[in-house]
Amino acid sequence: MEVKPIITFPRWGNYTIAFKTLFEKLGLEVIPPGEINSQTILEGAKLSPEMFCFPLKTTLGSYIPALKKGANTILMVENIGGSCRQRYYGTIQSKVLKEGGWEINVVNFRATPRGIYSDLKKISGASFLEIFRAGRFFYKKLRLIEKIEKQAQYLRPRELEKGATDKALDWALLEIERVNEEKNFSRSKKEISRKFSEIKIKNAKNLPKVGLIGEIYTVCDPVINFGLERKLGKEGIEIHRQMDITYHLKKSIFPWQERLLQRKISPYLKSTVGGHGRDAIYEMLNYVKQGFDGVIQILPAMCMPEVTIRPILEKIHQKSGIPFLSLSIDEQVAEAGIDTRIEAFVDVIKNHHKNI
Amino acid sequence: MKIGIPKALIYWKRPYFWESFFENLGFDVLLSPKTNKEIVEMGVKASDPETCFSVKVFFGHLLWLEGKCDFIFVPRLKTNKEKLEYCPKFFGLPDLAKIAVKTKILTETFDEIKENRLKALERLGKKLNKNKREIQRATEISEKREKEREEEINKNFFEKINSNKPKIVLISHPYNLQDEYVNLRLEEKLKELGAEAIFIDEVPISANRFTPLDKLSNGASQHKSAPSINFHWEFGKEIMEKIDSLFLTSGEKNFRLSGAIEISAFACGCDSVLKEFVEKKFKENKIPFLYLIIDEHTGEAGFQTRLEAFLDTLGS
Repeated sequence: MEVKPIITFPRWGNYTIAFKTLFEKLGLEVIPPGEINSQTILEGAKLSPEMFCFPLKTTLGSYIPALKKGANTILMVENIGGSCRQRYYGTIQSKVLKEGGWEINVVNFRATPRGIYSDLKKISGASFLEIFRAGRFFYKKLRLIEKIEKQAQYLRPRELEKGATDKALDWALLEIERVNEEKNFSRSKKEISRKFSEIKIKNAKNLPKVGLIGEIYTVCDPVINFGLERKLGKEGIEIHRQMDITYHLKKSIFPWQERLLQRKISPYLKSTVGGHGRDAIYEMLNYVKQGFDGVIQILPAMCMPEVTIRPILEKIHQKSGIPFLSLSIDEQVAEAGIDTRIEAFVDVIKNHHKNI
Repeated sequence: MKIGIPKALIYWKRPYFWESFFENLGFDVLLSPKTNKEIVEMGVKASDPETCFSVKVFFGHLLWLEGKCDFIFVPRLKTNKEKLEYCPKFFGLPDLAKIAVKTKILTETFDEIKENRLKALERLGKKLNKNKREIQRATEISEKREKEREEEINKNFFEKINSNKPKIVLISHPYNLQDEYVNLRLEEKLKELGAEAIFIDEVPISANRFTPLDKLSNGASQHKSAPSINFHWEFGKEIMEKIDSLFLTSGEKNFRLSGAIEISAFACGCDSVLKEFVEKKFKENKIPFLYLIIDEHTGEAGFQTRLEAFLDTLGS
């Protein structure tokens, strides 16, 4: 007899909410993944191959609370960006979980709109219209999450009352999670934008600006990167980050974007290197052009694409003089160490800003 | 004109081809020497601290060549004949090489999903002012030499499996196996300990690639139950196929494989995937398996102890 699939999926920062809605709207039974904390990271790392990259371990750890609650099917996305190890996440996670005694089924998604559609259809048996509706609602939620993240990046260094932005952001995320009917969504959206507009800000035009680049998972997940955006925001630094899910999806829908990007970075790199390696160079060049005061690269330790391009980023840093910091993150990295490096870097940024 | 070829990493993907190719085109070829301590130290200093040991060694060779020749040849290997990808770290090598050294880098992209290899070679020839005929001739000669070498290796393999010593298969990338300094003279050490080392790249693959499945299951009883993985990496597929092929030959020729050793360079991302499946295969076939990680800090004494201990367990 076939067991009814109970779904869980990897936790990925604030986007987890949107994914949960997507699967629920398809009529699937969903148990959302657990929080990422030292406990789940430890459990994930214990199960995973030692030399594997960090996101495999954290996502694996995030399944475990859900599996304990009875989930039996894991949806894992495959091949974000290309040639790197991410392609084998599903296979490896399925292997190590089965060896660890879990009876589970891992479904590998291809990270293109068409792949997502056909795989969703297979697993849920939903009709085209249902998938379309669920997808539309998912995308609305996702866009809103990305939008308020960007707003928060702008507001944090400007807020008069310390912590007001983060309070609004946390509230908004809860609100987005709570809405489960598409027809109520626009009302929530208005409410959220009202909440954000109520935040009192000072009139500051000339703030130091820092660009965040790097591997998509670590850059986007505020828990994994130790709340880097919050920390820098509190120091009065405006953060910019291009990498998010929409950016990735857009790239897979419009293939010519790749070619445009390649043309821009050609003096430095003439090929893909897997993952979002090229994008990091492109973004850094853009930040240099826009006169930013610093660039921070965040990557899982020993991430193949990001490590490959790091010498190129350093070259750009040497040539342009833009302050550059690279943070490798894995299960052995302590928050205190990251904090120290950020603090020192903040001084560099502020100095750089003053001298221009 | 003198062309330098770093004798590391991508060189070992097709050893002897490139030097023969350029020599036949009438260039002087300067190969970097065997890896030594100095080269490794240079490489470690020059490359990113988190990149794999193999890439660090490559940069050492590159720096050794700097200033000693007119061009350094660093091809960009993307996909091979079977349309499988190389390690993504190879993709960016020429660009990184340009940053690392002042000597001009000669490069060409080999992407056989998009075009035939010969076309890329012709483009390379154009950069060197050589016409198509000359390129074709040089390619043919070099490929012929490659084939001769392959046959010799095959003969070698069958000699090895007929010996009475305990046979141990070494699994790794060619750039780890062929480089004595990198693998800490593993072959020699095994010989001293009285074992015969079989390199995984020596195992012939063509003979049984077309063997029907039922015959396969006779040869190596359990390996069908192994989790199937479809590698998009050329070395992944090749190594898995060669392991299958090895089990098959061991069934046909009636020789016993005593153990298997896999060597990984530290921080090799591809090996973290590969190891899981290689290990599983040997475990299912009840062959003792040892996994060794090498890097610039690996001490020879520690290595020796682990090898001795491993060989002792085989005896009992």
